[in-house]
Amino acid sequence: MTKTDLTIGFARLSDCATLAAADARGTFTKYGLNVSLKRFDSWAALRDALGHRIIDAAHMLAPMVVVSAAGLGPFPGAFTTSFTFNLNGNAITVSTALYDQMCAAAPDTMHRRPLSAAALKRLVLQRQETGAPPLVFAHVYPYSMHAYELRYWLGAAGIDPHRDVQLIVLPPGQMVDSLAAGLIDGYCVGEPWNNAAVVAGYARTLITSGEIWSNGPEKVLAVRKDWAESNPDTHLTLLKCLLESSAWIDRPENRVTAAQIVSGSAYVDAPFDEVVGSLTGRNRQTGGETRIDLPDFNVFHRYAANFPWRSHAKWILSQMIRWGEAPREIDINAISQAAFQPDLYRSAARALAIACPSIDEKTEGTHEHAWVLTDATHPIAFGPDRFMDGRIFDPADIDAYLDGFGVRTQKPRMSETDVVQVVRLSRPVSA
Amino acid sequence: MDEAGNTQPEAGTPSEVPAKPLRVLLIDDDAERARLVEEGLAGSAVVHQASRVHGRVLLDLIAEIQPDVIIMDCGSPDRDTIESLRSVVQHNPKPIVMFVEEEGSERMAEAIEAGVSAYVIDGLKPKRVRPVIDIAIKRFQVMDGLRSELRKTRDDLAARKVIERAKGLLMARQGLNEEEAFAAIRTMSQQRGKPLREIAENVIAILDLLNTPATGRRDDKD
Repeated sequence: MTKTDLTIGFARLSDCATLAAADARGTFTKYGLNVSLKRFDSWAALRDALGHRIIDAAHMLAPMVVVSAAGLGPFPGAFTTSFTFNLNGNAITVSTALYDQMCAAAPDTMHRRPLSAAALKRLVLQRQETGAPPLVFAHVYPYSMHAYELRYWLGAAGIDPHRDVQLIVLPPGQMVDSLAAGLIDGYCVGEPWNNAAVVAGYARTLITSGEIWSNGPEKVLAVRKDWAESNPDTHLTLLKCLLESSAWIDRPENRVTAAQIVSGSAYVDAPFDEVVGSLTGRNRQTGGETRIDLPDFNVFHRYAANFPWRSHAKWILSQMIRWGEAPREIDINAISQAAFQPDLYRSAARALAIACPSIDEKTEGTHEHAWVLTDATHPIAFGPDRFMDGRIFDPADIDAYLDGFGVRTQKPRMSETDVVQVVRLSRPVSA
Repeated sequence: MDEAGNTQPEAGTPSEVPAKPLRVLLIDDDAERARLVEEGLAGSAVVHQASRVHGRVLLDLIAEIQPDVIIMDCGSPDRDTIESLRSVVQHNPKPIVMFVEEEGSERMAEAIEAGVSAYVIDGLKPKRVRPVIDIAIKRFQVMDGLRSELRKTRDDLAARKVIERAKGLLMARQGLNEEEAFAAIRTMSQQRGKPLREIAENVIAILDLLNTPATGRRDDKD
């Protein structure tokens, strides 16, 4: 292994726990790596730092890697991943005022879980009739699971997220204040920002991301493609180290200790009380009123959580197409292969004798309950992979999947720069 | 405060400075740096400070001011909000000047070449502010021009494909040679005052319509 000094960027969110624990517990050192962690307050800044080689790897939103692999955005084709940090972890929270209006508009729909946006749909129609301005919802980055989860939930109730409401991008730390000030009506964000607004009495959490899509991906370890090619040994060592750290924080008995580490000033720098619930999954609000234990609120290792499923990348691509962020003609197979590369993960898992899937993709949405994956080096217990509307994502037939959505953007919503990049990409094909 | 559209008399400013004062939006918590920017732009730009404004209020402010350029700190949490304007079609993208004052910043200077509408300053001096902004805007305009040009090329390519197909259909179904087929499309375009592409699309639609019942072919996958 030639390169042992690494800088890894991360965001101030409780799912940086894998990195924080590896740092604080000496796991990096154990694997011969000299890692310094660098905190970022903006996803764009983190992305630029990775793209410009200021950092070697990053705790990144899974769709950011997929977008790059699709040839869009500022670093087309630059990023790839072989490791998923966690599954689930986000939630949709609305202001208390909006929650009360939803209860009044459609009380019959408000006691079911997962809570649908049916009541919100009625409010949207009422507002359109009376000429009231659209409700404003925030998420954290244009290409994020938060953006796709929020739009999935709205779309499932017949709300067009680009026509019926206004979507804006806010940094996580500004969500609670913006909601309290009445500037936004709701948001989709990771923790501790849902719980903070609920505890302060400003808001109600309506649905967790694990109820929108059970065990969907959240953050990944992003690296540059050229870095991965020139540092295969270092990359492999880093994956082994992170697998060990993931396995440790995933154990229920370690979650409180993990929360103590993560809340520290070098990492999330937030009160322990605000962070601990998102890691233990205890006493979570969902459905607007209930408080229950959701042990899978954040999944860090079990269910082969760290495996970079190509079907996850393809689902993200399907949503990009659904919302007009990418043209239908993109090569979904090639892009998902460039984005999520499971082979290096397999080498790392084999070295640590961790059971590993032998297939690259699976159908998503067919398991409502726990199940066992037998296409693996050893059978692996899996959690449900259900979508809230019961739809099934077959990665081999994305057209049919897309045709099945009632709400879909017909007009492209790509930026000028992305349009140009798509033209550049498609040029050799059309020549 | 100057309002947009305010007709400004030609002041005795250097010839490179546009007649209308530049509208600059400055998003920076660093008071010292903000002062340097103000000083560097004194007399040649209207600087709006937005250091304590975030999120939706910031977006509303941008819509109201319509700045010619946005200057901000590279690591600011507001960056994602500002950058999201880029992916929203109805907003005009703005050149963004970014401050980077840490290691590796020389590599960030390549950002503009990589397609980020940003320019980077390290070690700011008041004298450098205006030239840097002018260069950023100029580069942004070049990029913008390049974008429209590429878009036009793409449209032209698409149009040519459609015209070729219409020509082919006319040749096959009406027994015209290539020159006659193109002349027919061109004449229709001139007579009806519509672009060649639109005429070609109509030709394809009509010939497809005429063709389907006559030949009874249902597996036309073209």
